[in-house]
Amino acid sequence: MRRPKILGLVLRNFAKRPATIQYPRVKTPIEEDSRGVQYADLTKCTGCTLCALECPADAITMTPIPQGYEVTAKNPRRIYPLIDYSKCVFCYRCVKVCPVNAYIVTSKYDIAGPTRISSEEYSLSTLKKVS
Amino acid sequence: MVCNMGVTKVIEVPIITAEIPIGPQHPALHEPLLLKVYADGEEIIRAEVNTGYNHRGVEKLCEKNTFYRDLFIVGRVCGICNTVHANCYVRALEYLLDARPNNRARYLRVLAMELERIHSHMLINAVMAEIVGFDTLFMQIMLDRERVMKAKEILTGNRVLADYMIVGGVRRDIDEVKRARIRDLLLKLKPRVEYYKKVFMEDETIVKRLVDIGVLKPVDVTSHSLVGPVARGSGVKIDSRASDRYDAYDEIPFNVVTRTEGDSWARMMVRWDETLEAINMCLYILEKLPFDGNPVPDEKRLPRVIPHGESYARVEAQRGELTYYVMSDGRSPSPYRVKIRTPSFNNVINSAFMYVGLSIADVPVALTSLDPCISCMERVTVIDLEKNTRYKLTLRELAGGKV
Repeated sequence: MRRPKILGLVLRNFAKRPATIQYPRVKTPIEEDSRGVQYADLTKCTGCTLCALECPADAITMTPIPQGYEVTAKNPRRIYPLIDYSKCVFCYRCVKVCPVNAYIVTSKYDIAGPTRISSEEYSLSTLKKVS
Repeated sequence: MVCNMGVTKVIEVPIITAEIPIGPQHPALHEPLLLKVYADGEEIIRAEVNTGYNHRGVEKLCEKNTFYRDLFIVGRVCGICNTVHANCYVRALEYLLDARPNNRARYLRVLAMELERIHSHMLINAVMAEIVGFDTLFMQIMLDRERVMKAKEILTGNRVLADYMIVGGVRRDIDEVKRARIRDLLLKLKPRVEYYKKVFMEDETIVKRLVDIGVLKPVDVTSHSLVGPVARGSGVKIDSRASDRYDAYDEIPFNVVTRTEGDSWARMMVRWDETLEAINMCLYILEKLPFDGNPVPDEKRLPRVIPHGESYARVEAQRGELTYYVMSDGRSPSPYRVKIRTPSFNNVINSAFMYVGLSIADVPVALTSLDPCISCMERVTVIDLEKNTRYKLTLRELAGGKV
């Protein structure tokens, strides 16, 4: 039997570092502008519900902003888009159709976990609390 | 039975055929497909292809959602070929709207589709190496495939699901830095692909398992409507990119790769050659990318109503010719009908005759050489629109009576 063609490559690989990335101990290198977690900046959001209508995964529900937050006059109905990230497909349709460009985009991708994660904490952190 | 020659009894010895179901869950298959083979000893004497394990009702879902929401739904018909699905649907909409994207958008669309072709072909070649029991080669090809996945991430913002196409253009532009990075990645990838092509040509394990397995004659290919690299591996020169010249394929030079052997090995070699062609096309696009305006249309200002009419678009997906039929009634924000015909539908269902005469161990090899994509093909409802009647067809009729 002849020598396998790939033998040289295999031997060279012994001298190299492992290619496997030990996620989540080591973060995967990712582009800064890749499509990660997005959430609405409630200082800009007008509660128009356009993103919820356009979402192909039905991941966005318009939710009342809880009491104790300073809501701008632009949002008379006091509602904001709550994104369920376990449903979201990260297509960024909501980001592109927002008439007031209220969405903040990040490249955060490591959101898998035992609990359901939504944009509630991110979005409400953009508002000031009433003292 | 009593006979004059003194024979008093005839014992009939039946030919014992073993029915072997391969799939829908099987270690040798990566996709949910039931391939029922009947074997006489080791030799296959008949094969049946049973599908329906992955039907998700995407076409009905498209009718229930708006035109623009459908854009992201059709991209999820299949993960590996999401860009071509979206491109075909978007072009069907553009034909209805009579819109034409600018040159830069057309070049960027082709770039995304060709990057996808590179990673799809590398994937199926890696899977083929795994199927023949060459796991080291599988790992190596998948490691080098990461380069093109990175290039796709730089271009579209995601490794697999690009969501890159939109009516009138693309959803992201690239700058000079990104252009140089994609170019670097492709230049590093090219010698690796050439090396793997050489391994597939010369390695004893690969050649022994692939050569003369699942031979398809050109006449069988045309009579059974096989498309894509399967047809080109048998010497049938069929390619929608060359015949339709959609998007920027009329300006980008490329060759349609064909081989005359017609066996599993020829189909895999066609894929390696197409990968090299696709790398050259990507490098050409990155070099000659035109600057004739913004390729990213404002998604807030896209037309909400699609005019009444029907359109039919086709693209050359990685597995062959993919077609979309879109019908709009002119009033509703949703399409009246979306019909998808994928290449795997033709290639997998119509090729049951190919397995006859093979040994059982060669069945996974022959199937993998077709590059089956089951999630693509599971949409078999046919409605006769010409006669305005709805009736169900059997699988045999659907496949052109050649099962």
